[in-house]
Amino acid sequence: MLGILLMVFSIAMLPPMLVSFIYLDSGFDSFLYAFAIILIAGISIWLPVKNARRELRLRDGFILVVAFWLILGLAGATPFFISPKLDMSFTDAVFESISGLTTTGATVISGLDQLPQSILYYRQQLQWLGGLGIIVIAVAIMPMLGIGGMQLYRAGTPGPMKDSKLTPRITETARALWYIYLSLTIGCALAYWAAGMSLFDAIGHSFSTVSIGGFSTHDASMGFFNHMPMVQIVAIIFMLLSGINFSLHFLAWRSRSVLHYLRDSEFKTYIMILVVVSTISSAYLYYTDRFLNIGNAILSGVFQTVSIGTTSGFTTYEYYNWPGFLPVLLLFTSFIGACVGSTGGGLKVMRFNLLLKQGMREIRRLIHPNAILSIKVGGKPLSDRVINAVWGFFAAYIAVFAIIMLILMMTGLDQISAFSATTATINNLGPGLYAVANSYEGLENVAKWVLCFSMIIGRLEIFTLLVLFTPRFWRR
Amino acid sequence: MHIRGVIKILGVFLIIHSLGLLPPILLSLYYHDHQLNVFLITLAATLGSGLIFWLSFRNTDGELRRHEGFLVVAAFWVVLSAFSGLPLVIGAHLPFADAFFEAASAFTTTGATVITHIDALPKSVLFYRQELQWLGGMGIIVLAVAVLPVLGMGGMQLFRAETPGPMKDEKLTPRIAHTARTFWIIYMALTFSMALAYVIAGMTPFDAIGHSFSTISTGGFSTHDKGLNFYHSLPIEIITEVFMFLGALNFSVHFLAYQNRSLMAYLQNPEFKVFAVVVATIILICAITLTMDSTYSTFGESLRHSAFQTISIITSTGYTTQNFAAWPTFLPVLLIFSSFIGGCSGSTAGGIKVIRIMLLVKQGYHEILMLIHPAMVHSVKIAGRIYPPSVISGVWGFFALYVAVFIIALLLLMAGGLDQITAFSAVATCLNNMGPGLGEVTVNFHSLSESNKYILAFCMILGRLEIMTFLVLLAPGYWRR
Repeated sequence: MLGILLMVFSIAMLPPMLVSFIYLDSGFDSFLYAFAIILIAGISIWLPVKNARRELRLRDGFILVVAFWLILGLAGATPFFISPKLDMSFTDAVFESISGLTTTGATVISGLDQLPQSILYYRQQLQWLGGLGIIVIAVAIMPMLGIGGMQLYRAGTPGPMKDSKLTPRITETARALWYIYLSLTIGCALAYWAAGMSLFDAIGHSFSTVSIGGFSTHDASMGFFNHMPMVQIVAIIFMLLSGINFSLHFLAWRSRSVLHYLRDSEFKTYIMILVVVSTISSAYLYYTDRFLNIGNAILSGVFQTVSIGTTSGFTTYEYYNWPGFLPVLLLFTSFIGACVGSTGGGLKVMRFNLLLKQGMREIRRLIHPNAILSIKVGGKPLSDRVINAVWGFFAAYIAVFAIIMLILMMTGLDQISAFSATTATINNLGPGLYAVANSYEGLENVAKWVLCFSMIIGRLEIFTLLVLFTPRFWRR
Repeated sequence: MHIRGVIKILGVFLIIHSLGLLPPILLSLYYHDHQLNVFLITLAATLGSGLIFWLSFRNTDGELRRHEGFLVVAAFWVVLSAFSGLPLVIGAHLPFADAFFEAASAFTTTGATVITHIDALPKSVLFYRQELQWLGGMGIIVLAVAVLPVLGMGGMQLFRAETPGPMKDEKLTPRIAHTARTFWIIYMALTFSMALAYVIAGMTPFDAIGHSFSTISTGGFSTHDKGLNFYHSLPIEIITEVFMFLGALNFSVHFLAYQNRSLMAYLQNPEFKVFAVVVATIILICAITLTMDSTYSTFGESLRHSAFQTISIITSTGYTTQNFAAWPTFLPVLLIFSSFIGGCSGSTAGGIKVIRIMLLVKQGYHEILMLIHPAMVHSVKIAGRIYPPSVISGVWGFFALYVAVFIIALLLLMAGGLDQITAFSAVATCLNNMGPGLGEVTVNFHSLSESNKYILAFCMILGRLEIMTFLVLLAPGYWRR
């Protein structure tokens, strides 16, 4: 299975080769070698076990999902590593590749504007492919595994559901969702192009916008296009769309109506949170005279809130230099993250919603100790099973966060950089504050590996990875 | 709602509390430090308001039920803090915000101070600060052992059965009276033996009593600017460590040990075991890191300081002998994080409490096992006792609210102009009732703005009342009917 995955992935080296060919830049060889290496690795994993025909079951799902990111993370690093132009260490190459595939968008490369087009394109494409994988995993596999209360969504996903066989379900779902993903990307690219970007930038940015990644082809990120407000508006719209549950897009597309959005409680909370935080940011920016023009204040406030709230991580201005509590507020917003079943990171709006409701219920229970109260989402009462799973998820998230932050500080990082780096990676956001505001280049190698781990564990919703660490999992 | 009964009981509290002003008055007479009038005015104000409250509702049937318990507990801390701040306003001419902060900090046994020259304060005021912490500690023990379990706060209903005293009905008064008597005897015995130990170790009797007050209540106020460093003595540090640790244990366990005259009660208590292991682990981590970083010349010295600082912070006492904020790399943050764990339930310590952390960890592990065996039926057990789901979800709710309140307070402080490190540590230290922070608030909270002081005072009370007691009052459902 993994062998096939690698072979499929090796095909991903072909478009950059094409790009390299078009622009006649120096990246061609690196991608050719990478193609060969990954293809051979894939075949050599696949060949010895090619006759082992076995349906994958629930338990294999965990290993598959973890391996997906680990193996592809390594494979994706090959072009970075062998490219003479980049001269990256192994650590940096893996960091960049994992950051791309998990759609985090944290980078260790500075001087993006001088890089060959093929490598730039490859980075954007990594995010796009990562997003593709995330959608399928988030919509089809996670509910099956029941991570953090997501068994709730089992019934909501399209595709055959009855049995626990993974394969047919994944293919079916994948096809439907990829159509949506693809059309969003095309729409986004066209809109960017119409708003004034060059075709190359438009495609590149549409890749990283729809996947909620946040890589850019310029050092200044979206700030490069600050003179084109339309670009920012397009970005806001498509980040918003990609932060919504893709099953919802699917339903809306099938029934040709937008009513589904309005009926979904997660969508409503998602929009509400972003509106509230945007208002606070814009008002605070205007009030502290960061922007003299109210329109600019609103545009930047909304852009930065949506970018960080959905965990994309594009920046227009240096938000980390914004006054007082705004950067921290925005970072905390990224903990809530996007909707379930989207390419975004964070705890997910749905879980946040459940936690709020449960918190209220506990308070009500104190007032009426004998009342039987159930938690409802969209009119359906939820079982305690689901709620406990969400609690467990929340606590594990915080515990992992605290541990990673302490380890980073152990490597000599100051508190704010460590805090923001952990936030930015575990929520798959991207840019942090202070030492990690622009790039993660200056960190120790150990710190980079810890952050790679943090990106993967965040992307895998914590538990998928933690399960593999329990001895019980491997028994039998 | 039984609002008259609540006011009446507050009146009684105020009358009793005014008695607490007598020792400073005597001291003031003895030392001739010109604070006599200050305390007399406060006495008159406290006693007067108490009498007015009480007399106006004297004839109300004073039986309080569970429902009123929330309001009484919250009002108790807010009102008494406000009244206790009076001597500082009148005598030391502090602004009301500062006085309220100081009194709330004393009363919740936090130990954060806004006063810069403690050595220059009159003796009676010094004593008064220490005494407030001691009284606060007394209130907390009753609160933690008798009141909160009845209210069912954050899963604490499970301790209902463990506490002595009549339990069958939901009437608060007889239960509190009974518990109070038992536990205060233990509390006083601990305080007394501690003061004695201090004197033997070389403190002046005044300092010995003052420090024993703030140690046993895990408060952390000192009668010197330098705190315990004033004495620079290893025996005094060790005495302090022992009693901070004792103060952070569940007083029900002390009671059991005293009743059976055996130490087995401690060893059989699962919460004690986990607490001891956690403390030992953090001490070791600190000592090893300090040695490797060669902050101190010998391992012995590293061990000495890390033991003191760890115990002081995890029990939420907050004494500092070393400037731990300047310790290398991750140690300051590790220590601040450890104060979130706090002491055992039913103690004077703050934080989330060890038993809740144990439940969270166990439940978290079960969640992982459930992923492997989705059909598994499980129950969370500690020392053979099964904890029902309502307790567990109470603990979860508590934990989430703790985190939520922490984040909101952090953002508010930052909006008020504090930098991130100061704001982070100030909220942590106040919410956990610990005391010193990092950055701007390493030594004292003098430089903060008024609004920030109020926010932090509120955090201290919120943390002390286990958050939910207060939040319940904000729910519209509470006031209906």
